[in-house]
Amino acid sequence: MTEITRTVKLKANYEAVAWKWMRYSGILLIPLAWGHILIQDVLVGVHRIDLNYVALRWSMWGWRAYDFFLLAFAFAHGVNGLHQVLSDYIKDARLRNVVSWLLFFFWLVISLVGAVAIIGGVKVQ
Amino acid sequence: MLVENFKTTLSGYVRYRGQGHYVFLLHRITGLGTLLFLAIHILDTAVVYFAPAFYADAIAIYRSTPFMLGEIALVFCVIFHGANGLRIAYFDLVKPGAWEKHNANRVMLITLICSLVLWLPAAGIMGYDILKYNFGMFGG
Repeated sequence: MTEITRTVKLKANYEAVAWKWMRYSGILLIPLAWGHILIQDVLVGVHRIDLNYVALRWSMWGWRAYDFFLLAFAFAHGVNGLHQVLSDYIKDARLRNVVSWLLFFFWLVISLVGAVAIIGGVKVQ
Repeated sequence: MLVENFKTTLSGYVRYRGQGHYVFLLHRITGLGTLLFLAIHILDTAVVYFAPAFYADAIAIYRSTPFMLGEIALVFCVIFHGANGLRIAYFDLVKPGAWEKHNANRVMLITLICSLVLWLPAAGIMGYDILKYNFGMFGG
């Protein structure tokens, strides 16, 4: 039996781009998120984290960049995942549209708050 | 209508549809759980810039025993979601042809075992910290 392969090029829509992006960002999040959790939750621990600790960490630009990328990739990956889950259950197209916009603003506002904090750094009292 | 969908969803969830179904559910639950924490965590960390005087209060909540237990659960969520995500990304991006051919149940079992092996030592260290700092054991 011979196998015939036919390649079909589809126009990239939001779902197609999001599908790919979830996989690539997910791979990137393995070192970013796992590293963050290993250091902050397991090795350092919440009992040794305070304002001075954050200030010390963010005095190193490399860690600030690390946190910035983690914020950008993890939160967008998460909100897009929530969008996928909700889209599975909301059958009404108009309601789905409203929820999509709400999620977009949810993502935008919290990302901006986080980004401002990382760029602004710890405010010394 | 939304309630109707929700009912169908719930009844669909309790019916057994094979191992893949449970792994799919676990992937979604761990992902949504992580997102819930992440949204809160971005805001509580932003306190260091917007209201540094309150950061100690925010951290005090995380140091309580229920939140530290939640933290151990969170670490499992992130490890499992990542390991299972890698499994999905590998088949989708590297070997799409192998989806049908490979022994899915075995690979999912390996994913779960790897997650547990990575999680257990982390849970042990974090559990030790709870006993040390919250219950005064080990000279804490």
